[in-house]
Amino acid sequence: MTLLPQYLATGIVSGCFLILATIGFSLTRRVEGFLNIAHAELLGVSAFTTWGLNTLLGWHILPAAAVGIVTTSLVGLCIGRLVYDPIRKLGPSVLLITSIGVAYVIGGAIDALIGVGIRTLTIPLATSYKFFGIRMTDYQMMVVALAAITSISLALFLNKTKMGLAIRAMSANPELAASRGIDVQKTSRATWLLSSGLAGLAGVMLATIATLSTDIAFHQILQILAVAILAGLGSLYAVIFSGLIVGIAMDVSVFWIPAGYRPLIAFSVVIIVLLFRPEGLAGRKSS
Amino acid sequence: MNATQLLLTVVMFGSLFSVLTLSLNLQYSRGGMINFGTVAYFAAGAYAYAIVTQDPPKGLDQYLFGFGGPWWLGFLAAGLASFIFAVITGWPTLRLRGEYLALTTFAFAEVFHSILLNERRIGNGSVGLSNVERPSTEWTGLPDTYIFTLAALALMLATMLFFNRLLASPYGRAIDAIKDDELAAQTIGKDISKLRFQVFVISAIPIGFAGALYAMITTLVNPQLFTAEVTFFIWIALVLGGDRTIIGAIVGTMALVLFQEVVRAIPFETVRSAQIASSVEHMMTGLIFIIILRWQPIEKLAKRVGFS
Repeated sequence: MTLLPQYLATGIVSGCFLILATIGFSLTRRVEGFLNIAHAELLGVSAFTTWGLNTLLGWHILPAAAVGIVTTSLVGLCIGRLVYDPIRKLGPSVLLITSIGVAYVIGGAIDALIGVGIRTLTIPLATSYKFFGIRMTDYQMMVVALAAITSISLALFLNKTKMGLAIRAMSANPELAASRGIDVQKTSRATWLLSSGLAGLAGVMLATIATLSTDIAFHQILQILAVAILAGLGSLYAVIFSGLIVGIAMDVSVFWIPAGYRPLIAFSVVIIVLLFRPEGLAGRKSS
Repeated sequence: MNATQLLLTVVMFGSLFSVLTLSLNLQYSRGGMINFGTVAYFAAGAYAYAIVTQDPPKGLDQYLFGFGGPWWLGFLAAGLASFIFAVITGWPTLRLRGEYLALTTFAFAEVFHSILLNERRIGNGSVGLSNVERPSTEWTGLPDTYIFTLAALALMLATMLFFNRLLASPYGRAIDAIKDDELAAQTIGKDISKLRFQVFVISAIPIGFAGALYAMITTLVNPQLFTAEVTFFIWIALVLGGDRTIIGAIVGTMALVLFQEVVRAIPFETVRSAQIASSVEHMMTGLIFIIILRWQPIEKLAKRVGFS
């Protein structure tokens, strides 16, 4: 009967990945005020940039991953400046619909450049460790560690640095922030860099723990949305709990129901949360 | 593919998907509801039609129900199925606003898709139902393609007229009033949530009919045909045509179908180049979408001509 604890452990790893993937999404929602459907495609940009440098050009994984994350960060910033900034006055609905167009463009570009098929990074094979009968690979442990480090450093950044405080001020009240002398444009750019960079990090993680195919990004957005909604759109700390809840719920559910229903669990969570507690776990009433 | 055939395909699928765009237009442009699960109502219609008309299961079939009914019964069942699905999904979700409604409808569509894919007892799971019944068209003496093109056109025109009448009536003005100023509409005694629910449910019925017609044309239903791509396709078509106008919704859909069919008609030497073309088509669609949302050229033009 070690199967259930094993699923639980895998669920924690999935949850930690989801935290990494969702934090950037929630940050965008909080500061820019809309749901960026194209966020998941940024995971794809980073994963395939890393794959290209690592496998095609033969770079070591570390510099490849670093370049992948930085590239994604810059791509995110460019999209934010070029596409979203000029239409911000049209409201969050138009921004949300536009982000589907952006997802199409990025997804199409990745498809055209990479092509169909399954790919893996050129990295040493995962070593499996056993604790109390539960198996875990070193890469899985790395995901958990990175999720923890990222959450803590993001919390420190938002609470201790000037730029972090500016981001929080802007998310709470943009007009007031602007009138108190916060450079709104600079803060917005910093947010794009940060949230896209986090998507980049999640993309690299995805490339290490999963096999890559070009439609992978779309599957992530479904789970990212589930986690973000459970947390309450725009709240950051609740993402940590809700990421773990969704991850564990999905993986543990395999114990009772067919694995094909795994994505369905995430969406049942969405529906139940929206029907009974639309403000999410964080509990801030949305206006 | 020659020109006539291309034209027929474009008119056939263009009219068929226009029905969806028209319904979405009613929901979004008039009702102010963002429905990101359009495909689910379409799939509900198609599956209802297939299940009602399909022969009872035999051999390797895993589905439970096949009633072997006539096509018209299936067609009616399709409208009913879409209606029921709209009641089930609309009832709890319509008190949610904007992006929350978008996400819930999207979630419902994904759950429905997942059930169709995994639950073999509904429609053979991922294999789907093939050889879906078509009404006999021999008595007309025309090729099937012509008949179904005409049928799609007729369905589109019927939907158009119906929505037109609805919106021109006092009922339609109440809907517009809610869209323009919710508080004012409430003050003069309009029950907002009831009206929104009615709009949502009414506009789902034609989508179900379109689903049935789609099942007749393709003679196949399987979960692969009903992914979120369809929803996004309809959204792009709606934006392309500029919202708020019925004619715009149709022009937008036709243009998008034409664009896709032309790209598909180009012969390619290798699989890889065909795949690149389809990816580039995706990119182009996305780009057009972004550009139109930003500058809204067609809407401005339509206003100048006086179509809105």
